[in-house]
Amino acid sequence: MRISAASTISHQDTFQHKGFSAALTGLKQGAQVLEPDYTKFIAPMELRRMSEVLKMAIVCAVDCLDQAELEQPDAIVVGTAIGCAVHTKNFMDKILASDGGLISPTSFILSTHNTIAGQISLRLKNHGYNMTHTQNSLSFEQALMDAMLCVKGGCKQVLAGAADELETSLYDIKARLHQEHAIPVCGASFFVLSAEAVVGSDINLVDVESLGLVTGLTEHIATFLSSNKLSAADIDLLLYSNSTQNTVDELTTIFGNGKLYDYQAISGTYLTNSAFALHFGIDALSYTSHPLFGENVRNVLICNNLIPENLGLILLNKTY
Amino acid sequence: MEDLKLTLKKQIIEELNLQNITVEDIGDDMPLFAEGLGLDSIDALELVVIMEKHHGIKITDESVGKEVLHSIDTMAAYIQAENAANK
Amino acid sequence: MKVFVTGIGVVSAIGLDVEENLQSLKSSSTGISRDNNYGLMLGKVRLSNQQIIDLLELPSGIYSRTTLLALLAGKEAWGAHTHDKNIRTGLVSATSIGGMDQTEQYYHESKKNDAAQIIGEMTFDNGRTTEQLAAALNFSGYIGTISTACSSGANAIMQGARLLEGNKLDRVLVGGSDPLALFNIKGFGALNIYDQNICKPFDDARKGLNLGEGAGFLLLENEHSLSITGSKPLCLLTGWNNASDAYHQTASSPDGRGASLAMVNALAKANLVPEEISYINAHGTGTGNNDLSESMALKAVFGEKIPPFSSTKGFTGHTLAAAGAIEAVYCVLSIQAQALLPNLNFSNPMKETGMMPENRFRSGVPVVFVLSNSFGFGGNCTCLIFRKAQ
Repeated sequence: MRISAASTISHQDTFQHKGFSAALTGLKQGAQVLEPDYTKFIAPMELRRMSEVLKMAIVCAVDCLDQAELEQPDAIVVGTAIGCAVHTKNFMDKILASDGGLISPTSFILSTHNTIAGQISLRLKNHGYNMTHTQNSLSFEQALMDAMLCVKGGCKQVLAGAADELETSLYDIKARLHQEHAIPVCGASFFVLSAEAVVGSDINLVDVESLGLVTGLTEHIATFLSSNKLSAADIDLLLYSNSTQNTVDELTTIFGNGKLYDYQAISGTYLTNSAFALHFGIDALSYTSHPLFGENVRNVLICNNLIPENLGLILLNKTY
Repeated sequence: MEDLKLTLKKQIIEELNLQNITVEDIGDDMPLFAEGLGLDSIDALELVVIMEKHHGIKITDESVGKEVLHSIDTMAAYIQAENAANK
Repeated sequence: MKVFVTGIGVVSAIGLDVEENLQSLKSSSTGISRDNNYGLMLGKVRLSNQQIIDLLELPSGIYSRTTLLALLAGKEAWGAHTHDKNIRTGLVSATSIGGMDQTEQYYHESKKNDAAQIIGEMTFDNGRTTEQLAAALNFSGYIGTISTACSSGANAIMQGARLLEGNKLDRVLVGGSDPLALFNIKGFGALNIYDQNICKPFDDARKGLNLGEGAGFLLLENEHSLSITGSKPLCLLTGWNNASDAYHQTASSPDGRGASLAMVNALAKANLVPEEISYINAHGTGTGNNDLSESMALKAVFGEKIPPFSSTKGFTGHTLAAAGAIEAVYCVLSIQAQALLPNLNFSNPMKETGMMPENRFRSGVPVVFVLSNSFGFGGNCTCLIFRKAQ
């Protein structure tokens, strides 16, 4: 199926920036999230309640629908690892501060993981399928698999994405991932998957796999590729998350040195950053000759090993 | 009474996170919901909390809530009446 | 493509396994009682965390109650099944609290205590409790978590069915789990949504919900898996749908639009007309808003001929992400026992509808198709339809 729109808000210049895959360099420590002017998309009376993750996700979703010239998607599917963590924390603080009297409910109301997908459907008055996947580093892959099932099941256009905010008092990602040099950030990426070829879109989402509690990459990658009638040699660009040196070594053995690209260095570290990687891959494929990756980039594989025992694989290609 | 109304306006702006609104923007008799200030049912729950936490007034009945929380005037009047009754 | 239900497991305020739950349903014995600590009516599972750890003979460690409840019910549903490289097997669970029952304890400590901070963070990952369940049952591969508030459990079941239908898996353990925790007890309290006494779903005088906790799991298999495992189907899962109300973050629309859509589409998926439904297990939380909205939706879909219906939340309380899964197990029991399940605490129908739920455990009734509703915050509406095996 085609990918007919993509939108990302991050700590890099990605929002409404076509061609960003050639323009970005490694994320610097201390970089702030590059927010668009949210008031252009969301009314102040709605904006006042929203934590960062809600604002980012809603604006990316709206941007995607604009790009695809789509009023109503048939389904909305979201992946989020820590959900509305800021609202969760706020409510926990309120519980601590309360003396048994009434507690202000807004933070609780907005704290459920599916608030992101729910708020998008509320804004659009969308009555379609609406789902939220919360399987830490595999949340986005599962959302994508779900979206693909929707399209196979008859949906024409599906809005799918992932978002996670930065809330280190509840989830210290550096400690959890044992990655000393990681730069914890937030990010949101949304996409429109379409059943039919859409004019101007020649980028295809071919297959997605979510593998939990597994070891080693080689066999799983080989199985995934061969089920899509491909081998490692057919992959032109391998986007990976820099989880451990073992990961890098194993991927180098499988794919060789020249094709690997560390997306985590660009996106920063949050559990659903494989969504950033998908947008990066889409953007890279939009070039005829990419400044970094050259010509004839056709098959892109995203290997998400952010949590070592979880493996997410996303395969996309370009129709020439 | 005027102090109470001013206090209520400040509390509403603060607790409901009305970032672009000042106390001057909230008329005493302006409807708080729908066409006036534009608050919604989540805000209604917050107003009930303000009444209890800051003014000691419990609102448990939905129909009472609808009447009392109509405007700053009605909120202030209810607080005064309840305080007088409890003296 | 058929989806067979070949295993069920449940733990709730009315029992620690399927048999106990069934006996309570038969004898109309509620599990909701007044908790002295909170002063609220709650549907508590009668085991402490340590008692569950001992019962399951788990190695010592930090366990979220979500994991422990899920393990009790998940193990029961998985039964004597084993892993087989010829059967692609997965796990889809659901939870709204996840590990937060642990996080919140340590969060309150963590302001002064590093060790507490670490534990708090370690547990704040919604998918982690599913991973603990997976690890305990030796699952690897597709391990997923759905979190859509009160419709989560039903959505996890639906997700499993779709993975089977999409030929991604052959066998999948699906369900949901949520414990009673300070966060949700205080959260629903802040919404002013409780009945201070026992809840009265669909009653005109209903005042709100009672919270509960528990877990429910089903094992789903396709024909390929069945041909290898030789499982005897308990029933089939024959229809499912999810639709959005898109009305309000927490309240349901007056006409129950999302709920109607979910039911109509699930019936279409199952290739059924409304008259063919034998029994409806409603969402029926006992709140003014839900029960009216759901009633309007039932009228919209079924017209004047609404099948026998009941809410079983008067037994268990509202178990949030577990609700759709626990109630799915009860739907399977309804088919197995060929009985309608009772709606407790009902006296007078709502003035707006005059609808009367089933208020007895009524056996000797042909139960062929059973419909189950679950609606969550964010306007998330899910409907499942089960069918008696031939």
